[in-house]
This record gives sequence, C-alpha cells and structure tokens, in this order.
Amino acid sequence: MRGFFHLKGVKVALKLGLIFSTSGSYAALGQSALAGALGAIDALKESGIADITPVIRDPGGDVSRYEKAAAELLDDGVQHLLGAITSWSRKDMIPVLERKGGLLWYPCPYEGFECNDHVVYLGTSPNHHVLPAVDWVASKGMRRAYLVGSNYVWGWETLRLARERLQAAGLEVVGERYVPLGSTDHAHVVDEICASPVDCVINSLIGPSNTTFMRDLMASEPERKARPGHIVSFNQTEADLAELGPAADGLLSVGNFFEEEANAALRRAALAYAPNGRVSAFLANAYASVEMFAAGANLARSTDPRAVFSAVAAAPVQTAIGPIQVDPVMRHAAFAPRIALADAGQFQIIERAPNAIAADPYLARQSTSSTARRVDLRIVN
Amino acid sequence: MRSFPLHNFAGLTAIVLHRSEEPMRKVVEVCDRLGVRAVPKTGELTAEAVRGADMIILDIDTGHDEQFPWGVADAPVPLIGLVGSESPGRLAWAIGQQVDAYLPISALGNLFSALVIAHETFARKADRTRHEREIARQRAGRLDVIRAVLLLMPECRDEALALKQLRTMAMVEQITLEEAAARLLSERQVKRVDGQ
Repeated sequence: MRGFFHLKGVKVALKLGLIFSTSGSYAALGQSALAGALGAIDALKESGIADITPVIRDPGGDVSRYEKAAAELLDDGVQHLLGAITSWSRKDMIPVLERKGGLLWYPCPYEGFECNDHVVYLGTSPNHHVLPAVDWVASKGMRRAYLVGSNYVWGWETLRLARERLQAAGLEVVGERYVPLGSTDHAHVVDEICASPVDCVINSLIGPSNTTFMRDLMASEPERKARPGHIVSFNQTEADLAELGPAADGLLSVGNFFEEEANAALRRAALAYAPNGRVSAFLANAYASVEMFAAGANLARSTDPRAVFSAVAAAPVQTAIGPIQVDPVMRHAAFAPRIALADAGQFQIIERAPNAIAADPYLARQSTSSTARRVDLRIVN
Repeated sequence: MRSFPLHNFAGLTAIVLHRSEEPMRKVVEVCDRLGVRAVPKTGELTAEAVRGADMIILDIDTGHDEQFPWGVADAPVPLIGLVGSESPGRLAWAIGQQVDAYLPISALGNLFSALVIAHETFARKADRTRHEREIARQRAGRLDVIRAVLLLMPECRDEALALKQLRTMAMVEQITLEEAAARLLSERQVKRVDGQ
C-alpha cells in the first residue's frame, strides 16, 4: 500500500493535523471543512492511495488556541497541518510553523497579501473573489453600494479593495461599517441601509454576525429578494445556506466551487461527516487539500514539508474538484472563479471562467484599468 | 476617507545590492512575487544604473557611502536595507544614509511591508524637503516684505494697511507675499542690498 515509507528500515505512516473550529462562532465553516478532510482520508484509504492518520484539534473559534494546537501537533511529529478558517488564526499559526518547520495546507478563501514559505494556499485569492464579484456588480448598472464586514483583516482588506474597485468603476459607496467578530449588534447598519437607496450591499461578515445581519436586513426590506445580487459575498457557501434560510435568496457569491458541481466522492463525504449534509467550497477544498498532501507525499517518497511541497507544485494534481496547479513560487493554487446566485437554499452558478486563473495575492498582475472587466467569466445557461 | 500608501509595485524595478548568492536568489524570487523586476548588482553603483531603478534593496552589512553615486542621505529613490548582523555600527551607517525601511534577512517573505513603508517614507521625506525649502525661501524674503511695506506706507497711512495692500497684490497676481514684495521693489527700482 502506498502512503507508507520505509526510512532506515522503519515504516512511516502519513499523519495530518486537522485544526478546524467545529465549535464556536464560525463552527459551520469548520464542520464543513473537517467533513471534507475526513471524507478524503476515508476515500484515499479505501482506494489504497494513502493511509493518513488524522489528528484533530478544535480551537473552538478562539484565536489564541490555534498557535498552541499547532505547536503541540508539530512537537508530536505531525509536520503537516490542514486548517485555520480565518486569516487571524492562520497568521497566529505561522510563527510556530516557521519555528518548528511545519507546513500548513490552508483551504479557505482569504484576502491576499501573504506568501509564506510554510503555507500552501488552496483557497481563492482576491483576484478570484473580490474582483469578479465587484466587476459583476458594476456590469449590472448598479450605482450605489454599502459595505459591511467583520472587524478583522478579512473584512478590512476585502472591503478596501471592493471600495477602490467600485469607486474606480463610478459607483458611489454610501457607507462602510465594521462589526466585531461574533457580534450580532448591527441594527444601526440595517437602519442605515434601509434609510438610503442602496443598489447593492457588499457583505464580508462571517459567522453569526452574517446570519443575523442577513435575516434582519431581509426582514426589514423583504422586497430585496426580487433583485438578484442585491447583496454580494466573497466567501459564502452552502455551509451558510442552512442557517440563512430564505434570507439568502438573491445573495450573489463567488468562489472556485459550488455544490451543483459536486461529484459522488464529495457528496459521500458530506453525507458521512457534514452536519448539514451539504457540499460547500470549504468541504471541497479541504477534500482536495488532503488529496494534494497525499499526492505530494507519494511523489516525494517523504513527509519532509519542503519535499512534499516541491512535489505537489511540480505539476497539476488531479483532485475531486479537478486538476489543481500550485505555483511553486507564489505557493497559491490557480482556480477558475464561479459566480453564483442563491435561491431556495441552493446556489446556481451563473458565470464561470473558462480556465483556471493564477492567484495574484498582491494584485501585482492586474492591468491598471479598473473599469474594464478583467476576469474572463462566461454566462452559464 | 483614508488614503492608502503605494501598495502595488508591479512593473517597478529594484536594484538588489548583495554579495551572497542565496539572499540574492531569495530577494529576486520575492520581488517576482510582487511583480517587481529585480536587477542583481554587486560592488559600486553608477548613476546610469540607478537612473532606471525605482528603488534599491541593499545589504547593510556591506554597504558604504562610496558605493553610491549620490551624497550621504541624498538617495534619489527609496532604499530598503536588509539587516544581517545587527551590529550598531552597521545600523548607524544605514541610519546616516537615511535608509527608508529595514527588513531582517531572515524575514524576506515580508518584503512587501518593507516596500510599502520605504516608498511612503521616501515620499514623506520629499514632501518635508519641499516644505523646508519653502520655509527657507519665505525667511529669505522677509526683508523684502519689510521694505515693501515701508515703501507702501506713505500711500497707505500705516503699516497694517500697507501690509494689507501687499497681500491684495499677491492675491491678485496669485503669487506669494514674498514674491509680491520682490516684484514691487523691482518695479519701483528700490536698491536691495542686504543689510542696508
């Protein structure tokens, strides 16, 4: 069976630390990602490709517990970690990864402006999410936008970029508010939106802030659902839809994957491990991350993080969501962005890029014009 | 609305001054991530080489004043200093050269932050220099302002009204008070010998 190596006569098995908050304020995302990871580990074992021992930690959404969890796993000889949902938690784990020589496989969308030698970035970057979504808004003739986000680096940076891009396209940003992570105190934001004619709300809230905000906004202005794309998110997935219910109708989201594209393997993982049974981008990307870790280790015949990364970045790796190419210098995966609209508990993809686009975390490879639509997305019938 | 410092360096050129191969390779690689064209150099820089560069990333451990085609602390582009040994003498040299941002050689992955800080510091330095030149020019023109006020006093009754008239002239011509004073003195052929 592959997935084992014999080093100096000793049989070495693959171990993978899974650090996801499956409790706490953004548990739904952590549960979805963990489900993907566990489903992939089962599938790889059944197929004889790799026998990976998962070592699970739940920091409970408490950012101070990620570093300790990562240090304990690395000290126990687990060199590869998959996890961290928020950028805050990822950035807290990086110093310990650097100190102890570990590698983090990070499967979530994030705001960019990072490229660490101890991280493989397997979620979408701003040129995969903010740019196509904001360009979609501008292309629909919307004129006035309101920005709201969680008060940490994801909210700050995605909304800064959205604001600059919207204003460059001639839209007016009528308000910009931030809500503390986990807070549901946002009545003033809903009041402001309802008090002024706003074509579109750009929403970078996460967790309960997002759920209650969406529900309150739709309760205050139920007619909004008749306008597809009246609210835009760069990271909402099927993991959020169950809690949002009808409040998600008309929500436009962007990502590298939506459930309608899920294959049997992903659906099996969701049914086995996801509390809501849904396949989300968090589940799918975590699933693919485990496949890539196994492929890298098998190709390298080693668990050394540098060797595994070099192997995985040498050529595209076939995964449950298609082939994924990781740039060996930028350390980020290329993805074809999809734009989807939520209705009745489902996301339906309305536009899709024809090819994978290299991640541009520093937005260093975008043209200077902000008005032309630069991300090539095609309408899906 | 907050204004953000320069944070997109795509298409810019950085001269990288370092004698060791591995740091040089790593700096070039990180520059590539940011869309910056890195031009490796060793030894001394010529004015011509600097002309096409938007910034210089230099090794503080081996830097020296004669290495550069400019006077001390008068670099024409932002300087990013790579900190190796942390010896006080080397840091003092870099401070004397007014290096705009510092980055430990062990933290090259954070070059982006150093570039943002260096370009912002350099821009503020240029603004400060312009401001200081303006203040010096104003100070140099004070005597002309006094002379112009004295010149206008007979027709304006007192010094306050004379100064007001001089201000009005400056405003109409859209020039500074000192320029208006100099122009008035010149037009009326007043002898302007300092100290007389």
